[in-house]
Amino acid sequence: MPVEIPKDSWPGAVNTVTLGATGDQGGSRTSTVTIGGERSLPFMHFESPMPHRPAIAMEIAPARPADWSAVLLEAWGATADDPGSWARACEEAGADLILLQFGLKGSGDEPVSADFAVAAVKAVLGSTGLPLVVVGPGQAEVDNSILVPIADATKGERLVLGLCEEGNYRTLVAAAMANDHLVLGKTPMDVNLAKQLNILMSDMGLGRDRVVMDPTTAALGYGIEYGYSVMERLRLAALQGDGMTQFPILVTPGAEAWKAKESKVGEGTPAEWGEWRQRGMNWEALTAVSLVEAGAHVVVLRHPESLRRVRAAIDELMASETA
Amino acid sequence: MYIIGENIHIISDKVKAALAERDAGFFQRLAAAQVEAGAQALDINLGPRKKDGEEVFPWMVRVIEEVTDVPLSLDSTNLAGIEAGLKAVTKAQPIINSVSAEEERLEAVPLVAKKYNAKLIALTMGKSGIPVSADERVNIAIEKLIPRLVEIDYPVSDLIIDPLVLTVSGCQEYAPELIEAVRTLQVVWDPAPAISVGLSNASNGVPAAGRSLINRVYCAMLMGAGLNRMIADPFDKEQNEVVRIIEQRDAGTPVGRLYLAIHDRVAAMEEQTIDDVDTADPEQMAVWKTVQILTNKVIYAESYLQQ
Repeated sequence: MPVEIPKDSWPGAVNTVTLGATGDQGGSRTSTVTIGGERSLPFMHFESPMPHRPAIAMEIAPARPADWSAVLLEAWGATADDPGSWARACEEAGADLILLQFGLKGSGDEPVSADFAVAAVKAVLGSTGLPLVVVGPGQAEVDNSILVPIADATKGERLVLGLCEEGNYRTLVAAAMANDHLVLGKTPMDVNLAKQLNILMSDMGLGRDRVVMDPTTAALGYGIEYGYSVMERLRLAALQGDGMTQFPILVTPGAEAWKAKESKVGEGTPAEWGEWRQRGMNWEALTAVSLVEAGAHVVVLRHPESLRRVRAAIDELMASETA
Repeated sequence: MYIIGENIHIISDKVKAALAERDAGFFQRLAAAQVEAGAQALDINLGPRKKDGEEVFPWMVRVIEEVTDVPLSLDSTNLAGIEAGLKAVTKAQPIINSVSAEEERLEAVPLVAKKYNAKLIALTMGKSGIPVSADERVNIAIEKLIPRLVEIDYPVSDLIIDPLVLTVSGCQEYAPELIEAVRTLQVVWDPAPAISVGLSNASNGVPAAGRSLINRVYCAMLMGAGLNRMIADPFDKEQNEVVRIIEQRDAGTPVGRLYLAIHDRVAAMEEQTIDDVDTADPEQMAVWKTVQILTNKVIYAESYLQQ
């Protein structure tokens, strides 16, 4: 018996945003990543084609991170000592783009400085052709002090600069507009706040094709369902035509999952939790795939094996698109 | 519209300071001014006052009854304090605000209301909090609240059900459900219980400049569902004007006609439509944007009017 599948038709769409610029476009990237453009809920291919697949960013740091799990550092080995070689290793592992996450420290115990940060960004841009997201430590003043010089030093690359928050969005948006970059808006897990920041950033005249938003998510077992439902509500509002919720979404399941006790702790755990390495990777991959299904456009991961697993899941989710 | 004035509320710093000093004149002025502005009853929310409720509540009742005859609504979770306040009442039939469907509260509070011949505001919430959907809230009223009052032979005509307004800033999905709860509660029992809501809760957490617009648009919608009693700010002139426009069906101004249309759409159970709006008029557009927030069609943000 033939079954008629009901189809929704929505008046709105997610914005299409291209990250990175090639030589022809005023940058130096060898590839770019385009995200967004959907006119339906995630992976409802029968309703409306999904013009772009969700992208996977790999997170790196400007120096070997002190607070990462030993499992992660073991996987990346010596490449994690240097941002350029780390980025290249991510590209070889199959990443679509790189996210360079700064902390409050620069080299050694020194506070992070503009010179240190610009050098790290240039090292990454010089060693990989992938688009780049650059994120500060999340303290408005420090973020501004490194991100503005980075924006100036990389004009035209269409980097994504973050974190744009209520306290510093004016400075970052201005730096992005002056230097042909994009911004990453970040708000606590709350649809009202996410939308409010989008309105404020847009009021400055920033183009709709220059904003990616991080509405904040949590790891599996630590409130992922709240993050999921915020993303779901934002997508539904976007499809209903609310222009201030139509920005594509970047989330950080890698950082969240590796904070969870289940991935972090290798000793003294119950036997039924299973082998530590596998558990950590499962936590990261399951968190990330859930968020991809919730409508994430970019998921930021940490472990190369998670990259492989999430890539495989996205391939399957997109299979009917290409069939 | 029967307005229970909300302004004697411990959340206000001035009220807090005046209470600490037992400044009777402050409360008498605030009470008289609310009645002057149209309040037909006064809510008195001094918090739980666990230590001195039995002294403070009767003091406040005596102070306010010196300047006004309107009913006083004693708003606290401190039942002993409320009882002490009720004993001091000499004028109009007082109101207890409130009881919920939580077992212990529902056991004790109605008995006090009955003993002192007080009206009783009953919230449609149980132990597990406030349900989103209209049906669940109505069910709490007809399965828990009303049966308990019938059980103790308390007159349902003295019952006031409060189906609970929540803020658009964080609980937006509750806003349209509340409208339907107000509508349904009027037909679920005979005699129908009175209904009242705390209107200003709709804009809790919203920047001060934006609160009144949200309150008065919601007020028009709730009146469309049959609301005729609320705890609200009687000093809000624009809100009072919307109430007047609707009560008198005053179609003399374009914005007035829009408020009437919004009210009538709710009354007729029709979708709100931009066809009712003169989109060239910024005031009407602000009202329309607020309707879309309150119908949960557009996500609320502080700057929603700028969108």
